[in-house]
Amino acid sequence: MSSTSQKHRDFVAEPMGEKPVGTLAGIGDVLGRKLEEKGFDKGRVTGLSPVSPGQAYVVLGQFLVLRKDEELFREWLKETCGANAKQSRDCSGCLREWCDAFL
Amino acid sequence: MAELTDAELRKELLALGYRPGPITATTRKVYIKKLGCLRAEVAAARRSGRTAPPSPGRSSAGPPQASPSRQRSGFTSGAARESEEEDEEEEEEEEEVGRLPASRWGTLGESGGQTWGDPRGSPPGRGGGVRAEGSRSRDSLGRLSPSEQWGTTEAERDAGSRAGGLIRRFPWRAVGDGGHGVTPRTALLRSAPRQQPEGKGKGLEYYLSQFLCLATLVLLLIFLGILVVKMVGSGWLDGSEESFNLLPVDCDKSTDEFCQAKHKDVTMAVLHELYSYLSVQAGNFECGNPENLKSKCIWVSEVKDHVLNVTGSSSQKFEAALHWILNSNKDLGIWLKGRDLSEPVSSVEEVFCLESAHPQMGLGCRFRRAVVTAIRNLFLFFWSLITLWGILLYLRYRWRKMEEEEQAMYEMVKKIIAVVQDHYKEWERNLERYPYVGIFHVRDSLIPPQSRKKMKRVWERAVDFLASNESRIQTESHRVAGEDMLVWRWTKPSYLSDSEH
Repeated sequence: MSSTSQKHRDFVAEPMGEKPVGTLAGIGDVLGRKLEEKGFDKGRVTGLSPVSPGQAYVVLGQFLVLRKDEELFREWLKETCGANAKQSRDCSGCLREWCDAFL
Repeated sequence: MAELTDAELRKELLALGYRPGPITATTRKVYIKKLGCLRAEVAAARRSGRTAPPSPGRSSAGPPQASPSRQRSGFTSGAARESEEEDEEEEEEEEEVGRLPASRWGTLGESGGQTWGDPRGSPPGRGGGVRAEGSRSRDSLGRLSPSEQWGTTEAERDAGSRAGGLIRRFPWRAVGDGGHGVTPRTALLRSAPRQQPEGKGKGLEYYLSQFLCLATLVLLLIFLGILVVKMVGSGWLDGSEESFNLLPVDCDKSTDEFCQAKHKDVTMAVLHELYSYLSVQAGNFECGNPENLKSKCIWVSEVKDHVLNVTGSSSQKFEAALHWILNSNKDLGIWLKGRDLSEPVSSVEEVFCLESAHPQMGLGCRFRRAVVTAIRNLFLFFWSLITLWGILLYLRYRWRKMEEEEQAMYEMVKKIIAVVQDHYKEWERNLERYPYVGIFHVRDSLIPPQSRKKMKRVWERAVDFLASNESRIQTESHRVAGEDMLVWRWTKPSYLSDSEH
């Protein structure tokens, strides 16, 4: 079988829509919160939940702005939220596959 | 390089052959880093005299930890050559000889840089102050003044970070080392998990299929061997009675030595003719029987007539030949048979018919017979092999099916857990009435109506799995909307992270 995680497969299986940033492979709660702090979130205040989950499409935007260069994206991710090598690799691979499938 | 505007950064990157995307607030830092990497690569490439810069894998090998310190120091100094200097020096430390042409410095176009004819001599001050490793003896006293300049400016700058970065940096320098440095990093990067054969089932299947392939090949070889032997084999024995000459000397009456030899020769001739005739007849009989012979055993009268016609000898000679056959111990390939076919023949008179032991058959006939014989011999192995192949294919099919079912079941379990958990979360937010959700409701929400029957088995396995293996979900019986039904209740607070992440 492939070496991708369930999260990766779930993400790549369909258009991301409004999925939260935590659904990206390699991005867990901690990293997701950090990304939100940096502004990768919905951008509007919702009354119900205390924490608005960040959006995956904004991270995708960053990936695309870096011209889908995985290596640069990984560095960026590491700089922005302190992801380690494995997390950034998972995330960049996930986004790349999503782009291959849907862009 | 804080002074670089976006446009300049972009131009620099383009000059080095890399097409950057838009340089925005979020991407700027990364592109600056990339610029530093590329410059280092170019420096390294030119330095070791290679025409192409190292592969991108190498640039990714430039680790994020080391490069920030390097780049920051490189860029904040305000001189591009300085970073290259640093790089060179690091490479110098690595390589045996620092062969840097002065022209390289010249191209930088900086006045200070041009005075540095020999970069090895360059900054002793710097080397002493900043370098953590043993310094080489520098000989450039003449260059002390610029070096002091550099030394002071450099020493202030984040020497600590550089020193720290240096230690870590060296393992990653690939150019001089011919790739030693790169391999640890790239090996790490490349250590994406490979596909492993899963479990014992796969191992057994693998060995079984290998064994079957081997057995098939071996049997095929044996088959061909038998074919060849059958075809060619009888040909080896044909030439046993070849050597003789027919001399037209009349030697019937006399019995001197010469004549005895002659007699022998004649006998041999007769025998030979006999042999070939018999074998031809036997061959014809075996191969389609165009003359409609009743058996391979040919009546003695017929044989006699034929032989006498062909050789032109008398019937005494024929009988002498038969005598000879009878008395000889060798296997001549001719069987003499009496009326009673099972009893051995002792005298010439008893001979009733003759049969050839080596029928002579055409090539096609021999081939056909060989194939049939080979197949018959290998019959058992052949069929057992086919049976084993069939079993193997069937087993493989079954294993695959079972695995797929397992996978489907686990998918279903995951979906169910997600649904129950979400339901619980919504209940916490007061969007739902009860903290539990009916099992059937979950099923109906997860499986569309047309696949409910198909997924029945998967669903039931998932339910059983949840009941036995999932501790966060409790199966209970409650009264929901007026009817009693089995429900699932999430029993764990949702703040702990999921095992998936």
